[in-house]
Amino acid sequence: MYWLTWRQHRAQVLATAGLLLGLGVLLLASAMDATRYLAEHVVAGCPGPAEQCHDVNVGLSQRYGLVYQAVLGILPLLGPALIGAFWGAPLIGREFERGTNKLAWTQSVTLGRWLGTKVGLLAVLVVVAGLALSAMVGAWLSVFDGVVGPAFSNAGLFNLVGVAAAAWWLFAFVLGAAISAVLRRTLASMAVTFAVIALVFPIMVFARDAYAEPLRAAYTEYEAILDQGAILTGNAWTDPSGREIAGPPADLCPPAPGEADSAAGQQKRDSCLAERGFISMVEYHPVSRFWRFQWIQAAILAAATVLVGTGALVWTLRRRH
Amino acid sequence: MTAGTAATADPQQSGTTTTEPAERPALEAVSLSKRYGRHWALRDCTLTIPAGRVAALVGPNGSGKTTLLHLAVGLLRPTDGQVEVFGAAVGHDAQALTRVAFLAQEKPLYRNFRVREMLRFGRDLTPRWDGDLARQRLEELEIPLDRKVGRLSGGQQTQVALTLALAKQPSLLVLDEPLADLDPLARHDVTRHLMAAVAETGMTVLLSSHVVPDLEDTCDWLVVLNRGRVQVSGDIGALLESHHLLIGPADSAEAVAAGHQVVTRHTAGRQTSMLVRGSEPAADPRWIGRPLGLEELVLTYLRDPAATALPRQPATPQN
Repeated sequence: MYWLTWRQHRAQVLATAGLLLGLGVLLLASAMDATRYLAEHVVAGCPGPAEQCHDVNVGLSQRYGLVYQAVLGILPLLGPALIGAFWGAPLIGREFERGTNKLAWTQSVTLGRWLGTKVGLLAVLVVVAGLALSAMVGAWLSVFDGVVGPAFSNAGLFNLVGVAAAAWWLFAFVLGAAISAVLRRTLASMAVTFAVIALVFPIMVFARDAYAEPLRAAYTEYEAILDQGAILTGNAWTDPSGREIAGPPADLCPPAPGEADSAAGQQKRDSCLAERGFISMVEYHPVSRFWRFQWIQAAILAAATVLVGTGALVWTLRRRH
Repeated sequence: MTAGTAATADPQQSGTTTTEPAERPALEAVSLSKRYGRHWALRDCTLTIPAGRVAALVGPNGSGKTTLLHLAVGLLRPTDGQVEVFGAAVGHDAQALTRVAFLAQEKPLYRNFRVREMLRFGRDLTPRWDGDLARQRLEELEIPLDRKVGRLSGGQQTQVALTLALAKQPSLLVLDEPLADLDPLARHDVTRHLMAAVAETGMTVLLSSHVVPDLEDTCDWLVVLNRGRVQVSGDIGALLESHHLLIGPADSAEAVAAGHQVVTRHTAGRQTSMLVRGSEPAADPRWIGRPLGLEELVLTYLRDPAATALPRQPATPQN
């Protein structure tokens, strides 16, 4: 079965390895270029938020943006979609389509073992590939520390580092296989897998805010919190007695004419309100919650993987026709 | 276990000592039914195929032949009833799977595999695999091992698929329309090779066909399936011996019919022909009786779906 799994899926395995290698070379080149740039533009305490770092920051940001816009921006979504479509969907879909299931499942290996071995082996490879991607992206990101905020607050990068990519890829692979067990057509399964991933991904991004109770800080600390790379989830108001309210009374501290929409006007109004005891609070998840959120998301995706996988297995075994 | 040692032991012999007692029928279906939505593809089929037979499963297109074969090899689950191969249902049981080989109608193979890789596939997935037999067969057929399966001719693909099935060393070989889509020469070749293999190993064969003349010289057991029901099941020799066609004037048909077990009756003008069971000739001298050929017998039954010829005691033909 090991040989058969390799023989039937080596194209996907090799293509994925090749693409990861290509990405690795690109990231390495980018990291080396950024490191050399830093070495040529040595300014004490840079990169960092200090005033004199401006030029260095811009130089690094450009190098970061180049790679991010070309590849990494789309990869969090495209990666799982491709894995689901090309690793998952053909696994069962192609067998049904070509009738080879009648050959494979009437050898001396039971359907359960056939499915278990194939899905198991490929799942291990998918997870390894996902972890390799995350390791590479993580190492590359570390070069831009101080210029680019932590991956935590960037919904895209968050899903490329840590264990997120591996969890997504595993989920997508099993999802693709499960869909193809039901549809029995490779192309249709690829399309549906793409659609489901495209639907689930933003839901998971939005769900992230709910993984923990957000912390609160006074509005005045807004800038500092943002600079640390926290996820801002919303804001709240408290009245002079400390109770939470929907918003300050509308007639309090009316904005000066013409200043209602400007930042300065807003700031002026906020400090006026604060003097009267109405305090604007920001709600946020601190960057220290990175791993906690990574594992929560991975656990959710793993549970979904098990659920979808078991469902498909039962479906394939029970409804044979 | 390596191919060529224990794996090449006579399956008959190993069967009688351990897994397949001789008295176990090769295939036994009891009230076997399969429904797709509202349509019953197979309904209440009870039949037995004794071990060592070459059985033909015939019936018109859509009569449920493929469904019956898929149920037998575990590719389908019955809606009702059961089917066993040497006493065990094929499905979730690797042991039972080992005893049966299946050649599906489309002769599925992995088209992007080389022939050599198809053999490796067989070796890896079946414990009784006989690699020598497979290579020898392909060599005789002049099918190059390095050729991609997709580039072989239709006849060669059938031969490769059949080789995979034979090298599995099954006790029951199930073939779905093995000769369809083949030219006459390939048809002859496949039949010849199949029969040689059967003679050598003594395995039981169940093959479906909608072309009866193909089967006349090769099979010794007949199962007729019509509209999802079993119409005839029995030893071909015994069936031919026990059926006669009586032809005579229509006016005396009633009297003659009274003395016989009439299966079907057909009157055209003043002449009546009756298919009767039993060999006694008609007492009326105006009537002539004659035996039937296999095709005639099958066609006569197929024209009258209500008629049946099933053994009262399964697996023991009356002769």
